[in-house]
Amino acid sequence: MAGRVIVITSGKGGVGKTTTSANIGTALAKLGNKVVLIDTDIGLRNLDLLLGLENRIVYTIVDVVEERCKLKQALVKDKKNPNLSLLAAAQTRDKTSVTSEQLKDICDQLKKKNDFILVDCPAGIEQGFQNAVAGATEAIVVTTPEMSAVRDADRIIGLLEAKEEIESYKLLLNRVRPKLIEQNDMMSVEDVVDILSTDLIGVIPEDTGIITSTNKGEPIVNDEEAMAGKAYRNVAKRIMGEDVPLLDLTPKKGFFDKIKDLFTKGKV
Amino acid sequence: MKDIFADLYNKVLSFFNKTDEKSNAKDVACNRLKLVLMQDRTNLTPAIMDRMRRELIELLSKYMELDRELLDLNFEHEDEQMALMLSIPVIRAKNEDEINEILAKEDEEKERLEELAKAQEKSEDSDSDDESEDSETEEVIEEDDESDVDADDESQEESSEEDDDDDAEDDEDEDDDEDDDDENVDEDSKKEKFFSKKKKEK
Repeated sequence: MAGRVIVITSGKGGVGKTTTSANIGTALAKLGNKVVLIDTDIGLRNLDLLLGLENRIVYTIVDVVEERCKLKQALVKDKKNPNLSLLAAAQTRDKTSVTSEQLKDICDQLKKKNDFILVDCPAGIEQGFQNAVAGATEAIVVTTPEMSAVRDADRIIGLLEAKEEIESYKLLLNRVRPKLIEQNDMMSVEDVVDILSTDLIGVIPEDTGIITSTNKGEPIVNDEEAMAGKAYRNVAKRIMGEDVPLLDLTPKKGFFDKIKDLFTKGKV
Repeated sequence: MKDIFADLYNKVLSFFNKTDEKSNAKDVACNRLKLVLMQDRTNLTPAIMDRMRRELIELLSKYMELDRELLDLNFEHEDEQMALMLSIPVIRAKNEDEINEILAKEDEEKERLEELAKAQEKSEDSDSDDESEDSETEEVIEEDDESDVDADDESQEESSEEDDDDDAEDDEDEDDDEDDDDENVDEDSKKEKFFSKKKKEK
């Protein structure tokens, strides 16, 4: 079995790389895949928190690299889904404690026994980014419909294009606010896709549920009702090759909006 | 009475429609982003971009009359290649005589400047500050070119009758045309090289 290694990156911080990693990983595992999540944000690890695994971590990726444990020992199994495991980053070290070659080696080893290796990339374009990308053949570029995030995504896309190992990369547009887009206050999905000319893998609506799910250490894909959860589940299906249409995000009209429509239609 | 009701109705309406007034936040964002990304992707500063734009207009307006205000210059990713998209409305295509005339004038100017440069070189042959002075003269030459083309545009129609005098030079002009084409090709290939370099850097 040769699994796929996908790096989840963005350039800019705070656009939802780690949330995306946790959710796509969980969704892929729920669909019956064997998945390993690697947190490469050494010194600023957070993926363990989003999965609720922070108390179970014994060994980290730095321990593996420095041969204090075997790779298998460092993999922490998810509470609910035995298909999903996490290779945590060390919190007390920095990005230089692992080299690109070492990370590539870890990915190559994990590839043999898993369907998907998702690499959660740190923000920035320095060593941490280079490390995270080293073992991957595919990339998901996470961005939001904000200027700074799109600009950084464009930079990342340029860097990914220069990497021969990366065979394909897709865009994931996070924190989309349909209401603002409808009012022309925010760039639309089409605008961002047009500016970056990169194919979409998914559109995730802004969802307050993400905050509560992070607080509970429970990825939002486990919530059947939440829109963001649904969107992430669709992304997982698309990664597996299924043709799933984008969610309809046009804002639901409340009572007030209906009155407004009534007025706008019959202008005197 | 009816008017009062209509007035009231429209006032209520405008209250509901308040949001529509600031409808361009997204367009502003899109335009600013496109500009910034163009600079990011090419490493060209706004000043250099502006100069490139000006020089492109100068070059193209030798061959046709263009609407300079509406020039749109953009870099776009197309598949894996970066493309320079240039769109300028053409007001009027120039006829052959006009073009030849402009080119002839330009060539004359070039020859004149070359001779000037040669004369200058001779006089400053053994100078140690050669390089810096060379670059200075180059800039002067370019500025001269720009002003000349502008002058040409204005004086085209007036000088059309003088063409007959230049008959002897016309043959030369055609030769020069070919030269110019070659130069253009060179420039194109230069551009291509620049972009492929860019890609590697990225």
